[in-house]
Amino acid sequence: MGAWRVWYLPLPPGGACSLPRKRGEGRIATDRKRLSAFLSGFRGTARADLGRSLAASAATGLLVIAQAFLVARIIDAVLFRHEALSSHGLELAALVGAILLRFGAVWASEHFGFAAAAKVMRALRSRLLDRVEAIGPVGLAEARTGELVAALAEGVRAVEPYYSRYIPASVLAVMLPVAVLVAVFPFDWVSGLILLATAPFIPVFMILIGRGTEALNQKQWRRLARMSGHLLDAVQGLATLKAFNAAGRMVTEVATVADDYRRDTMAVLRVAFLSSAVLEFFATVSIALIAIFIGFRLLWGEMAFFPGLFVLLLAPEFYAPLRAMGTAYHARMEAIGAAERLVALEEMPALAESGGATPLPGPEAISIRFEDVRLAFPDGRVALDGVSFTIGAGETVALVGPSGAGKSSILSLALGFVRPTSGRVLVNGVPLAELDLADVRRRIAYVPQRPRLFAGTLAANIAPGEAAPDPARLVRAVADAGLADVVAALPGGLASDVGEGGAGLSGGQAHRLAVARAFYRAAPLVVLDEPTAHLDRESEADVQTALSRLLAGRTGLVAAHRLASVAGADRILVLAAGRIVTEGTPAHLLRHGVLDGDLVPDLAPTIGEAEAAG
Amino acid sequence: MKDALRLLRLMAPHAGWMGLAVLVSALATLAHIALMATSGWFIAAMALAGAAGASVNYFTPSAAIRAYAVVRTVGRYGERIVGHEATLKFVAALRPWFFARLIPLAPAALEDQRSGDLLARLKGDIDRLEFAFLRILSPGLAAVLVLAAGLTVLALHDGGMAVGIGLAALLAGLGLPLLVHRLGARASREVTAGTAQLNALLVDHLEGRAELDIYDPDRRHRAALDETSDTLIAREHRLAGILGFAGAGVGLFAQSSLVLVLLIGAPRVLAGTLPGADLPMLALLALSLFEAVAPLPLAFQTLPATLASARRIFDLIDRPPPVKEPAAPKPVPEAGTLAFAHAGLTYPGASGPALTDIDLALAPGRRIGVVGSSGSGKSSLVALALRFRAPAPGEVTFAGSSIADFNSDDLRRRMAVLAQHDHLFAATIRENLLVADPDASPEKLEAALECAGVLTFVAAQPEGLDTFLGANGAKVSGGQARRLGLARALLKEAPLLILDEPTEGLDGETERDVLEGVLGAARDQALLFITHRRAGLEAMDEIIVMDGGRIVARGAPGDMLAIVGPGTMGPGTIGSETISGGIPEDTARSAGSGQGLEQAPP
Repeated sequence: MGAWRVWYLPLPPGGACSLPRKRGEGRIATDRKRLSAFLSGFRGTARADLGRSLAASAATGLLVIAQAFLVARIIDAVLFRHEALSSHGLELAALVGAILLRFGAVWASEHFGFAAAAKVMRALRSRLLDRVEAIGPVGLAEARTGELVAALAEGVRAVEPYYSRYIPASVLAVMLPVAVLVAVFPFDWVSGLILLATAPFIPVFMILIGRGTEALNQKQWRRLARMSGHLLDAVQGLATLKAFNAAGRMVTEVATVADDYRRDTMAVLRVAFLSSAVLEFFATVSIALIAIFIGFRLLWGEMAFFPGLFVLLLAPEFYAPLRAMGTAYHARMEAIGAAERLVALEEMPALAESGGATPLPGPEAISIRFEDVRLAFPDGRVALDGVSFTIGAGETVALVGPSGAGKSSILSLALGFVRPTSGRVLVNGVPLAELDLADVRRRIAYVPQRPRLFAGTLAANIAPGEAAPDPARLVRAVADAGLADVVAALPGGLASDVGEGGAGLSGGQAHRLAVARAFYRAAPLVVLDEPTAHLDRESEADVQTALSRLLAGRTGLVAAHRLASVAGADRILVLAAGRIVTEGTPAHLLRHGVLDGDLVPDLAPTIGEAEAAG
Repeated sequence: MKDALRLLRLMAPHAGWMGLAVLVSALATLAHIALMATSGWFIAAMALAGAAGASVNYFTPSAAIRAYAVVRTVGRYGERIVGHEATLKFVAALRPWFFARLIPLAPAALEDQRSGDLLARLKGDIDRLEFAFLRILSPGLAAVLVLAAGLTVLALHDGGMAVGIGLAALLAGLGLPLLVHRLGARASREVTAGTAQLNALLVDHLEGRAELDIYDPDRRHRAALDETSDTLIAREHRLAGILGFAGAGVGLFAQSSLVLVLLIGAPRVLAGTLPGADLPMLALLALSLFEAVAPLPLAFQTLPATLASARRIFDLIDRPPPVKEPAAPKPVPEAGTLAFAHAGLTYPGASGPALTDIDLALAPGRRIGVVGSSGSGKSSLVALALRFRAPAPGEVTFAGSSIADFNSDDLRRRMAVLAQHDHLFAATIRENLLVADPDASPEKLEAALECAGVLTFVAAQPEGLDTFLGANGAKVSGGQARRLGLARALLKEAPLLILDEPTEGLDGETERDVLEGVLGAARDQALLFITHRRAGLEAMDEIIVMDGGRIVARGAPGDMLAIVGPGTMGPGTIGSETISGGIPEDTARSAGSGQGLEQAPP
C-alpha cells in the first residue's frame, strides 16, 4: 500500500484561504503535539479494527519471509542439486499458497485499516455536529459557514489516512524489520549486521532532516493555501478588478505569485526530498553491500547458496516498511493540517442553552419572564445589561430600538439560542436552563429576520420537523402567509423542490414561506423578528393582517423595525444599548413622541417610501 | 478524449521538463531493477564458480552493482525534484492562463453559479489538473518505458517468459485499473453524489441552526445528516476496498511472474539451455519490474475525476462572453455625457425585465441620485454603464457614441465605481487601494481615506496602511469595508463617479460625514449616486425614483424630498399602509462576506 505511493506535493488542507499566523517555533511544536493528541484521541474507537489491520500486515510480513525462503530453496535445488521442479511440488505449492495468502492479507489489512478510519470519522463527525448544536445560532453567526462545512466534510475525511495508513505503517516500520532481522541472523550474521548497522541511521536521518523540513513544510502548506486563496480571491474580485482596469495587471500578479511559489517550494522540496534520498541511499547501498559480501563468500566457499539467496531476497523487505512509513508521514501531516480546523471548531464556545429534563409545565399558554438578564460575549461585547420584563400569557410585546440595542439578543435568549451570562429566563415560571428544550420549542412558532430555506420540497420546508405533514394544514398555512398564488404557479405545487438558499423563490417569497411555517405550527408562543421587512407593499398588508390573526390569543414577542408591526402590540419595550429605557402601550409612546426620531432611528423613513408617497 | 487532448496541449509547452521527469523516473526504476537482477545473477555466478573452482570476472558485475545503486539513489531524488519542477512550472502557467480566460466572462457569465459553489469547485478542479502530470501522466509513461526495456531483456533470454510476464504486467497495469473502474463506478458516483448531499445538509445544519432548533425538536435533520454521512463513509470504504484489491492484485501478478520464471526457467537450466546464474537474475527482474506497474491503479483511479475537472474548467472558459468587444474600437473621448436611451435589460432565465425603458443623461459635472427599494433595478444600471451587460432593447452612449463601439476596458477608464458587491482583496489596505491607482503616493492614499471618513480608523491600526484585511475584508466591519471601498473609488481619476449604496452599513451621523467628504472630493466629477436612503440627496441636481425596473418619478431634489419630508413619520401615519422599505438591521453584515450566518448577533 503505502510503499507504492508517490511523494506528493502536499495538497492544501482545504479552506479557500488560511492565512499564515505569526508564531514562535515553540508554539508550533506544542500546537502540533496538541493536534497529534487530538487525532490519537480516537484510537479507542478504532482499536479492534486497527488490531485486525495490524495482524493482517504482520501476516503479510511473515508470508514475505516464507516466500523468500521457498524461492531460495527451489532455485538452490535447481542450480546446485540439479533437481527437477517436479520433485519439489510441495514447496512450489506452498509458494503459490503463500502468494495467494499474501494477496488476501494485503487486502485485508487495507480493508480493516479503512474500517478503523471509518469508525473514527463517524465518531469525529458526530462529535463535531453535536458541538455545532451546542454552539447555537448566535455563536455560529460569527463563523464562516464555508470554512465550517469544509472542516466537517473534507476535514473529517483527511483524518482517514492517518488511521488507515499512518498508524499501521508506524507500527509495522518497527515490527517487520525486526522480523526480517530475526529471520536473517541465523542464516547469515554478516548481512544481519549490515542491516542492523544501517537501520538506526535511517530513523535518525529521517528525524534530523524531517524536523527541519516539517517546520518549513508547515509554512509551505500555508503558502500553498495562500496561493490557491490568491487565485480564488482574484476570481471573486474580478468585477471589481475590471471596474478598476486592473484585471490585466492581476494576470501578471497571478503568474508572479505562482512562480514565486514554485521557487520557494522547490527550495523547500530540495531539502525535504533529501530525507527520503538518505533512506534510499542506505537501503540501496546496503543491498549492494550484502550482494557483494555474499558473492565473495560464495566464491570462496565460505557460505552456501541457499542462505545467500534467501538473505538477498529479504534485504529489500527490511527497508520497505520504513519507506512506507516515509510516505505515510504525509498522511499524518495532512491530518494534522485538518485537525487544526477541527480543533478550532471544537473550541468554539458553546453559547446555546442546553436545557434540562423538566417538561414544560402549565396550560397551553406561555408566559415569559426575564430576571435581571445580562448577556456578554466571550469577546467582551455586552449585548444586554440587566434586562427584566414579563410577558403574560396571551400578551404581545414589541421590542424597538436602534441596531445593536439588544432586540435580537432578547429573542435569542427567549428561544434558547444563547445562555444568559447572568440572570434568568423563565418560561411559565421555570428557568429555561432546567426545562426540556425540545418540549419548549415544540410550542414556539418563529420567523427569523433572514429565514433559511432547506434543500427539499416546499412542504418539507413549511413543516421541517415532520415526517408526514398534514396536507390540509399545509394548504391553510400557505394561504395564510399569502403564498397561495406562488404555490399554484409552481409546476409541482407543494411538492416542488426549493434548493439551497431558496433557489427559485425571491427573498420576499422566502420570507412568506417562513411565515407559513409559523402558521403551520400555530404554537402558543409566536416569536417574530422583523416579520414583514422583505415584503412588497400589497402583500405586507395581507401578511400583517394574517400575523395579527396568528398573534391573537397567543403570546407574542416581536422585534419591530417597522411601525406597522408595533401598532398591533399590547406593549412596547424601547431598548437602547442593551437596556430597556422605557416601555408602554403604542398609543402612550406615540403620544409622548418616543417613537419618532432619535431613539428609534430604524423606524425613520427611507427613500423607498418616496415612491409610495408619490 | 477531447478534454484529455486539450489538457495535453496545455501541458505541451512544458514537454521538455515533463519528458525529463519521465526519463529520470524510468531511469531510477530501471536502475533498481538492474540492481536486483544483477545482484541475483552475481551471487549465483559466484556460487557456481566457487562450487566449480572456476575463476570468474567479478569486477564488472560488482562495479555495475555499485553503479546501479548510485544511479538509483540519485535517480529517485532527481525524479522527485524534476517532476515537481515540471508540475510547478505547469501550475505557474496554468493559473494565469485560466484567470485571463475568466476576465471577459466576469461578472455576467459567471453569475448563474453561486459564488461559493463555483469557487469551491474551481479550487478542486484546478488542483486536480495541476497534479494530472505528477499523478497520472508521469507514472503512466515511465511504466511504459520501464516495461519496454525490462521485457526486451527478458525476451533476449526467453520469448515465452517475456510474453507471459508482459501479459501479467498488462493485466496488472491496465486490466486491474479497468476492473477497479468497473467495480468502483457505482460507488464512485455514489460518493460524488453523497458528498454533494452531505455538503448541502451541512450547510443547512449550520445556516439553518435557528430554524432547526425551533422547528425540528426531534432532530430529524440531524438523523438524515448522520445517515448520509454513514452511507458516504460506507461507500468510501467500498471504494478503498476495491483499490486495496487492485493494490494487492499488482503484488499477486508480480509474484506470479516469479513463479512463471521458475516454471519456464528451471527445466531450461536443467536442460542446459539457460545459464544457471540467469535463473535468479530473471526471477528478480520479473519481480522488480512490477515496481513500475504499482502506481498505475491509483493513477487510473484519479483519471476520471481529473477528466471531469478538465471538462468543467473548459466548459467554464468556453462560455460565450456576455458582451462582444468591437473589432475596431473607437477611441474613447476624455469626457462626455453618459446616456441611457430607452435602455432595457432582461436577465437570462428571468421571467420579466430587470430594467425597462430607462432614459437618463449624466452630463459632465452633473449629479444624479437614483433611489428605490432593493430589487428596483438600480444596480442593473451600473452593470449597463460598465458594459458588464449589454442593453436590449435600447442603448447606452458615451459622448454620443454607443458604448458598444468602444473597447470596454478603455470605456471603464472613464469611470470610477463603488459597486454594490465591491470586493476587498485578501491583502493589505494599501494593496487594496493601489488597485485603483498603482502609482498613487501615500499622501494621495491618505487623502482618499480621509474623504471616505476612514483615515482615523486606518491610522489607529498598529500596521496602518499595511494592515491585512483578511478574506473579503473579514477583519474589518461592514461599515469600514464599505468606506475602504469608497476610498478606493475616489482614488481613481475618472470624469464619471458611480456610487452604488456607498453608505450601506453606516449609522446616520457617520453617513452624513462620509457623504459630505465624498461629495466634496468629487466636486469635478459627474456623479451617479444610487441609494435607498435620504442622506446626500439634497446635493443632487436631479433625483430619479425607480420601481420595478422603471423610472417612476424624477425631478429636482427640492420637489422630490418634499414628498418624503420629515412629517411623513408623524403619528398620523402610524400603521399606514403606504410605508414600505426599511433598513434591515444587519445591512453591515450582508455587505460583508455573505458567507456568515444570517442571524445577526445583537
